[in-house]
Amino acid sequence: MNIHINGKAYALGHENHISITSALTLHFIEPQQSTFAVALNGDFVGKTDYDTTMVKNGDSLDVLQPIQGG
Amino acid sequence: MSLNIYGQKLESRLLIGSALYPSPQVMKEAILASGSQVVTLSLKRQNPAEKSGQQIWRYLQEIVKQTDGHLLPNTAGCKTAKEAVTLAHMSREICQTDWIKLEVIGDDYNLQPDPIELLYAAEQLIKDGFKVLPYCTDDLVVCQRLYDLGCQVIMPWASPIGTGKGLMNPYNLETIRFRLPDATLILDAGIGKPSDACLAMEMGYDGVLLNSAVALADNPVLMAKAFGQALQAGEQGYVAGIMEQRQTAHPSTPTLDTPFWHQN
Repeated sequence: MNIHINGKAYALGHENHISITSALTLHFIEPQQSTFAVALNGDFVGKTDYDTTMVKNGDSLDVLQPIQGG
Repeated sequence: MSLNIYGQKLESRLLIGSALYPSPQVMKEAILASGSQVVTLSLKRQNPAEKSGQQIWRYLQEIVKQTDGHLLPNTAGCKTAKEAVTLAHMSREICQTDWIKLEVIGDDYNLQPDPIELLYAAEQLIKDGFKVLPYCTDDLVVCQRLYDLGCQVIMPWASPIGTGKGLMNPYNLETIRFRLPDATLILDAGIGKPSDACLAMEMGYDGVLLNSAVALADNPVLMAKAFGQALQAGEQGYVAGIMEQRQTAHPSTPTLDTPFWHQN
């Protein structure tokens, strides 16, 4: 299946779905070292739901971090 | 006298942004110099190769700790209510605050808020338990509708973001103050000079939110102090009671026994 994380495409062989926790390991080396929040296809997903929320073919994950703002 | 944001009393009436400074260190020094206890921030896509994100987050946390202050995440960049609601939830998880500076932009040219999407987003976020601080135009009816929805704080613009043009429509802003006497009104965006902030406070506004005017100054730290003092001056002037304007001159020096006086 194919997914996008922050606009970058990832091809994941024959898997039908993976958890957000697993998907984040594609993006980060050490997710626990970073401050971030996640949206799946434009909907917020809380940290407590990362293990049980599945990312499927064609899905898009946004991983956001705090930055300066006005 | 203190600024009331959803029941939270703050000594400083200045809310300040964390963007556009020459460096994170200057940002920190300027914010501390301003005396502000509310610092805005935003969210963007995380880049694992970029270390600066965590550094900024640490700086912001240090500032909040030193000022006994609050983070105010914004929804900058959102163009629909749905985007803003999603970003607000993400911000709440990261910043651990129900406060959200709600921005929904309707036009890329002047970054003018979209009043319709703004109202939809505010309504949903209030249902979701947020304390919404909406950034809006100086339209009385939009401000009234936001207040009626439950926004205790309303933040009309002075002029478009980053222009430094100051108060474009003083009449509109004065009317909003007059018609919403119980709302916490914070003038947001377009402030250029300390005198702009002072003028807003003289109108009876409760506070001012700004960023570019400090961050883009030649000396951001000194400008931050200047804004802090300007807000205090404007607030004290408002509380003291400003004299009525008069159409004709009135001598301030007593006229009795004026020297060299003679009958004309």
